[in-house]
Amino acid sequence: MSYFIFKRSSNGSFCISQYIRTKTRAFSSLHPLDNFLDSNQNSKVFDPGCSSILHNSLKKPFGSFSFLPSSSLLGSQNQHSLRLNRKGWICAREFGSQAAIEPCTSDGLTVDGIASSKWTILEESESDWKSHAAAIAQSIQVIKRRLQWKKLMVRLDLLSAELNKPDLWNDPVHAGKISREHGSLMGKMKEVKAFEQELLEHIDMIKLAREEDDTELESESMKALLRMRRDSKDKELEALLAGEHDSCSCYIEVQAGAGGTESMDWAAMVMQMYKTWAQRRGYGVTVVDEMPGEIAGIKRATIKVDGEYAFGYAKAEVGVHRLVRISPFDSGKRRHTSFAAVAVIPILGDGSSRVQINESDLRIERFRAGGAGGQHVNTTESAVRIVHIPTGVTATCQNERSQHQNKASAMAVLQSRLDQLEMARQAQMNSQHTQSLTEISWGNQIRTYVLHPYRLVKDLRTNYEVSDPDSVLEGDLDSFILSYLSASLDKGEGEQ
Amino acid sequence: MLKLRSSGLSCGVCANFQIPIPRCFMNSITTSSIDVKPKVPLYLRPPSFSASLSELTKWHKWAKNLASSVGSSFINLDNGPDSTLLRRELNWLLQDLIELQHRSVILSRLESGNNENPDVSVALRAPLEEMYCVWRQRIEKRRPFQYVVGCEHWRDLVLSVQEGVLIPRPETEVIIDLVEGVALNNVPELAQGFWADLGTGSGAIAIATARALATHAHGDACGRVIATDLSPVAVAVATSNVQRYGLQDVVEVRKGSWFEPLKDVQGKLAGVLSNPPYIPSGDISGLQAEVGQHEPILALDGGISGTNDLLHLIDGVASMLKPGGFFAFETNGEKQCKFLVEYIENEKPGSFRDMNIVSDFAGIQRFVMGFRR
Repeated sequence: MSYFIFKRSSNGSFCISQYIRTKTRAFSSLHPLDNFLDSNQNSKVFDPGCSSILHNSLKKPFGSFSFLPSSSLLGSQNQHSLRLNRKGWICAREFGSQAAIEPCTSDGLTVDGIASSKWTILEESESDWKSHAAAIAQSIQVIKRRLQWKKLMVRLDLLSAELNKPDLWNDPVHAGKISREHGSLMGKMKEVKAFEQELLEHIDMIKLAREEDDTELESESMKALLRMRRDSKDKELEALLAGEHDSCSCYIEVQAGAGGTESMDWAAMVMQMYKTWAQRRGYGVTVVDEMPGEIAGIKRATIKVDGEYAFGYAKAEVGVHRLVRISPFDSGKRRHTSFAAVAVIPILGDGSSRVQINESDLRIERFRAGGAGGQHVNTTESAVRIVHIPTGVTATCQNERSQHQNKASAMAVLQSRLDQLEMARQAQMNSQHTQSLTEISWGNQIRTYVLHPYRLVKDLRTNYEVSDPDSVLEGDLDSFILSYLSASLDKGEGEQ
Repeated sequence: MLKLRSSGLSCGVCANFQIPIPRCFMNSITTSSIDVKPKVPLYLRPPSFSASLSELTKWHKWAKNLASSVGSSFINLDNGPDSTLLRRELNWLLQDLIELQHRSVILSRLESGNNENPDVSVALRAPLEEMYCVWRQRIEKRRPFQYVVGCEHWRDLVLSVQEGVLIPRPETEVIIDLVEGVALNNVPELAQGFWADLGTGSGAIAIATARALATHAHGDACGRVIATDLSPVAVAVATSNVQRYGLQDVVEVRKGSWFEPLKDVQGKLAGVLSNPPYIPSGDISGLQAEVGQHEPILALDGGISGTNDLLHLIDGVASMLKPGGFFAFETNGEKQCKFLVEYIENEKPGSFRDMNIVSDFAGIQRFVMGFRR
């Protein structure tokens, strides 16, 4: 295999010009080569010596409806591709009437192939390329699901076809719209494609380095792969948290189920779990409202979690959490099952449309009103409860140190509750979003925490489980949250 | 001795001692003292003390247990605080005690009972010995929490308070709502006039009113507030609160009884506000310990029916207000409100318009208000 590599000492990255890092698959012999390319994408200038040579040829498989006037340019490009493909990994793959080029490594490994090969994903610190590659491939798949990849491709085809109509610009407004959407989708698609490409290139490099016994190259490539792995995790998260209000701060509310002290204690444990989780993520945590139980625990509590994507993560926790353990409050040492319900409410930014609240619709109550009040009483108790009379929605705050501040906090909670109610109402009207309605409704049991007779935390929605309840109760929730978010992506994809 | 006390550092340290022995300071201020130096609230003191996390945890546990031992005994005794409330106060005390930067970490450590790094040093605004002392005073002597931390959160303000000054009540917050919602919204030009807060205490009403006037003012013509009080401690504390909010050019604190120091603005006031003593003398002995045993009787006792000072205010207010001027007074409840309205209707016919009784959040008729004709 002939190759040579330029090392750029300044940044340690490789620059490869004439190496077959990637093969191009899928030339459907039925289609003339021109059909793979469309004029919109051909405007990109080639830059030999840049590692993305091949991307350019690979990123253009979607213009099967197009007819191409600039065949001379295409001709040269095709030669290029063919020259690079001299080893001849050619296979065909059909998407309906379209042909697509699926990038793969020199030995035919594709991103989907990596993902489906179920290589074990080890810790980042383990220098194992298969593990890195599998993690990256997994992230890429999540990102593609979020983008609704197949639909995106179909849409791109349609848009490309539209763009190639000679009479397109007769209606400049329409043309502008089409062209903008095309550009935006193309940008997203290219980003993913480039990312896939990079992965395959690194894999090829590692294999090559091993073949050639070049340890320096191998370790460089391994490092690059690790960088990609971290990068892909970020991208995956970005993809998972793309909901309309995901970036908002939020309130988390925990309410004890029936069952007295034992379930109030459980509610307090759940609340503590969220407090530590939020603190570990670097979010600001403020207790807004807390109604303690008589003996232990809490009847209910509301915390405010301040920070980017607090709602996006926390919304995965909505539902009923079930605990099985031997109750410390039962002198008979019997096993108890308790429930705590969790609600999560986004705090919409000023930019969002918020529900208008009429002052006259509110009833503001002071808690624990009793006795003569005024100068007779010195109390630091200044809880405020606000009732929104038309909806019956209430909000309470008692943890601020002045009644005025408690009222302001309670108003903020009330506002968010009413906003959420409105969002739910609109979602209900729009049947497409029925899923989000179930997300915010109570009553669904989502997770079980068993402390006895065995130890297990299991998410009933995703079947994700861990055998160390202590770490979960200490706020180690991210894997539960991510597996749920990722699973709900699949669900969304399935529905569409 | 008061003069010797340094105001910034360690208010608990008495200057008579060379070694800084924390001292429980209670009711040490005498009203006869002319040069009263206001105490610095705990949360504003420099974090120049420290304790290890394990020492702090030990204190916290002790304090929590002390709070829990109260149960509902104070409620049953005189409608005082219960354990839940005392534990919440304990959290607030910790908030004020611990230096801001590491506060949230330390607080969550204490809450979760995490025992890692017990030797780590925590910067505090008062020595831990003093904290043992003041928390015991809170529980055993029923010293009001606000005197313990030296401040009261009232509306959006944090006001210094100390023995000798009435702790502003949440009910009184409504007076500012009346100033904004009733007076300034209906008669915007009142925002440019002179206002008076009689018996200002900590300066709460005066400061909040000054801020309300500023937000309702148009252009440069902002109203001013004169706050009066008979008590030199109140005058000193109110003055320092006014300064802390940077309002010394807007709020003037004058020493004297009710309208006495206001001769120069007679008939010119745009508004008169007051939370005068209104508790009937006979009720004083039965008051909740925090109030009866610690707060200044001067600010509480309103004479046999509780209306001595309120009547004095109503008698004077018509001549103090300019036409269209606004007044609002806090009262003991429904009985006093009705009595006062009746009194005004009978004794001052035609002097006022839009008289109204306004309830507090607990639904108790608490305020009498109106406009001078």
